[in-house]
Amino acid sequence: MTEEIDLSKPPPAEPYDRARDEAQRARLMKVWETPTGWRRISAVNNSSVGKWYLLTSFAFFTFAGFLALLIRAQLAVPNNDLLSQSLYNQLFTLHGTAMMFLFAVPIFEAVAILILPEILGARDLPFPRLSAFGYWCFLIGGIFVCGSVFFGVAPDGGWFMYTPLSSDPDYSGLGADIWLLGLSFIEVSSIAAAVELIVGVLKSRPPGMRLNLIPLYCWYVLVVAGMILFAFPPLIAGDLLLEMERAFGWAFFDPDRGGDPLLWQHLFWIFGHPEVYIIFLPSIALIATILPTFAGRPMVGHSWIVLSAVGVAFLSFGLWVHHMFTTGLPEISLSFFSAASEAVAVPTGIQIFCFIATMLVSKLRRSVPMLFAGGALAIFVFGGLTGVMVALVPFDWQAHDSYFVVAHLHYTLIGGMLFPLFAGVHYWYPFVTQKRMSDRLGRWSFWLMFGGFNLAFLPMHWTGVMGMPRRVWTYDVTDGWAVLNMVSTIGAFVFAAGFVVLAVNVLWPRGKAPLVVRNLWNAGTMEWSGEVPDKPWGVRSIPYIHTRYPLWEQKELLGEMDRGEWFLPDAEEGKRELIITDILDARPLYVQRVGGPSYLTLGSAFCLGAVFILATFHLWALTLLFGAGFIGFTLWWLWTGTSEIPEKPEKMAGRGLVLPTYAQGNNSPGWWAVFITMTGDMTAFMGLVFSYFFYWTALPDFLPGAAKLPGFGWLLIGLALLLASWLTALAARERLAGGSAGQAMALLVAGVPLGAAGIGAWGWAAWSAGLDPTEASFDATVWVLILWMGLHLLLDAVMRLYVAARIWRKRCTPRYRADSANLTLFTHFLALTAVVIFALLALFPMLMGGA
Amino acid sequence: MAPRRKIVPPGDAPRVIDQGSVWILVAAPSIWAAHFLISYWVAAIWCAKLGRGTSLAEPRWIIAGLGALCIGAIIGLAVLAVRRYGGVFVIFEEITESSERGRDRFVGHVALLLCVLSAAAILFTVIPGMVLGQC
Repeated sequence: MTEEIDLSKPPPAEPYDRARDEAQRARLMKVWETPTGWRRISAVNNSSVGKWYLLTSFAFFTFAGFLALLIRAQLAVPNNDLLSQSLYNQLFTLHGTAMMFLFAVPIFEAVAILILPEILGARDLPFPRLSAFGYWCFLIGGIFVCGSVFFGVAPDGGWFMYTPLSSDPDYSGLGADIWLLGLSFIEVSSIAAAVELIVGVLKSRPPGMRLNLIPLYCWYVLVVAGMILFAFPPLIAGDLLLEMERAFGWAFFDPDRGGDPLLWQHLFWIFGHPEVYIIFLPSIALIATILPTFAGRPMVGHSWIVLSAVGVAFLSFGLWVHHMFTTGLPEISLSFFSAASEAVAVPTGIQIFCFIATMLVSKLRRSVPMLFAGGALAIFVFGGLTGVMVALVPFDWQAHDSYFVVAHLHYTLIGGMLFPLFAGVHYWYPFVTQKRMSDRLGRWSFWLMFGGFNLAFLPMHWTGVMGMPRRVWTYDVTDGWAVLNMVSTIGAFVFAAGFVVLAVNVLWPRGKAPLVVRNLWNAGTMEWSGEVPDKPWGVRSIPYIHTRYPLWEQKELLGEMDRGEWFLPDAEEGKRELIITDILDARPLYVQRVGGPSYLTLGSAFCLGAVFILATFHLWALTLLFGAGFIGFTLWWLWTGTSEIPEKPEKMAGRGLVLPTYAQGNNSPGWWAVFITMTGDMTAFMGLVFSYFFYWTALPDFLPGAAKLPGFGWLLIGLALLLASWLTALAARERLAGGSAGQAMALLVAGVPLGAAGIGAWGWAAWSAGLDPTEASFDATVWVLILWMGLHLLLDAVMRLYVAARIWRKRCTPRYRADSANLTLFTHFLALTAVVIFALLALFPMLMGGA
Repeated sequence: MAPRRKIVPPGDAPRVIDQGSVWILVAAPSIWAAHFLISYWVAAIWCAKLGRGTSLAEPRWIIAGLGALCIGAIIGLAVLAVRRYGGVFVIFEEITESSERGRDRFVGHVALLLCVLSAAAILFTVIPGMVLGQC
């Protein structure tokens, strides 16, 4: 009979032995070493990938900021012709796009990848190669989108790409395709990061860190990654529809063919509004982590902050229509969204009050990070208040698309996101580089940026109220906006000067400067437990945590960790190892082995990037070739780096704890990653379902007569075949568990033709009814749903053959069968998708009397 | 030599669902989301199918009735959070005890706060339903 170990009373550690300590350190060092020279690009460790991510995001920020200066230079004086109108359109579109997609969201991922494992006292995140893959996707996609401006083909329809401006070939060119495909590609990396971070917070916590002890930063990361999962996929669905219209003429947004341009606005803002909070919450999380350190006490209302993070995450999905107040929707609809927009101010305010309360009850230490945090709160509160104004429908009707909105959004984003981030840069710089930034330059950069920002954006409230529309190329002196615009331009350049000071302060070579002392700021969170000088392994041994601020409240912790008295102090088998724990109480479940440096992720990202780039130019043959390359690299990566059968079923993790070295089903992080990815996939699918019902609501004759409906019989046969295919995966899992590997392989392979026949029957149903996707929105919707199913079946076929091959090569066995469990989970989602599509194509039209 | 004891990996799914620990956190805001979306759809479809200027008398009662139902469900959740999890309504919370009970009390406390927020947000949604008389 086995029993659970009580982590609070573990057996005593073995007495310290210097020789053993040094041998263990040497082995850890060898395993976790970062490749040097040009091989460094194969690194996958969170500290390398996180740093690249951070620097790349800031490079895109600098680029987008430079575009902003050009915009301000153009607007400095009336009737200016410094830039052509066409170039100006590209500049403001690219400025918004790059700031949002290439800076604000990726920087969250960058910071989280860099500091989350250390805050959790973990060696790395559970899927380091996925992080590296995400990073390379981001880099390639970002360069592609930004580079387009140098060829004069950058997107020019505004960062939200409204149709029909972006769908009609008369008004839009290659730029719209670059936007759609380039950003879809970057969204892949965001979703990859979201999966990584959710599993990281849920499953990679140090033993003992129960839900009530999780640091606030980790709560925010969990909440925001969850939001990404529900916010980004609808935009991917929208991108798919718009690109199908642009590339193949499918009728989604063209009113002449039964489409509706307003659908794009819905899909965009279902993504776009939560995105504002996806940007804002992680930065507020930085303040929530920094503030207790300088207050020297725990955060007041820790749980109230958790409440507000979760509350904001939900409410932020009920705000999207407040970007569409002037589109002529019924007033009752507008009012619901106006009410939710006011309601979201409640949890947002709670966070701010918790911060203020913490400052009031403590004696705050003055420092540059706190200076930025204070500036952030001041600016953000101002932006929040104008937000309450524009959330009111009548006021918004006046201010919509004017410079008032430009001022509002910059106050919220720069106050809510940029300044906290700069606070974080100053705070964690010593953590990353082990050197200190100059405080003097820090104060200079703060005051230049704070002053410059207000000088630039405060006057825009007045220019907006005086009637200056956003995105206007130039204006006349008689409009009366000249002085205010000149002031804004001066402010923008002062702000830029502040950023230059900050950049110099960050990039200044400090080779000879002394190293900082360990835990420089006397913080309470685990990332400051790192030794000075830095070691690549993260933590020397993985500790037992039973407090919220371990470095303050567990006095002996650092010494115990350093002496290797806690878990996994060694790397005897020469593998990178992490401890996976359970969601509620962080009880250790098993030892996960993760992949080391690899070029496969790089190859995979490169091929996927090529697919998206080549598709932009409609080079279909090459697109297919690189698509095959992408699948090849990815399978190679999975084959060699995941679900490896361990050399022994369990190992000593230290302090009497014996842990398994393999996990499957819902014990394994891989299963959770599939579950989370497929939740995102379902959300994208829900975007398509939403489109269907949107057309049905908005268009009186969306459903055609009975003759034009796909045949019920064929749809039913198709559904039956698809469900039969699903059952083969289930049966294969059972047979494999029962020891019959051969039957399992046969069942997996048999599911492929069943799936193909199923989708064939559906295709035939649509084809024989004469549905032409270029004719009407109903036809296009039917075909896009079938296409969606078909693409998933293609993936299903690849995965089935992969798992069958794994069984054949004995890499997936009756005892070690994680691959089979993960595949089955995937097919559950597929079956659900099939049932919903059947309901939409066969049942709903019948119910509505179309048949 | 330290005694060698074995740990039983308990698995995650049953614990998460049976104890309701994670679900109770998202239950109340999910009820808000359901109420919000249904209210929006009912009104949008009503106005789209019957045209501008149509009276909102019927949807109004659907929205309000549903709101009452949802707030009732949230009150039920709040009772659960207090009784089963030991959730309390305090400002200076210090539920830092490292035990299963401590974790439960923390979850109960946050769930209780979310119940209050969600109920308030539902009231926010009901107000326009009461105020606007026609599409």
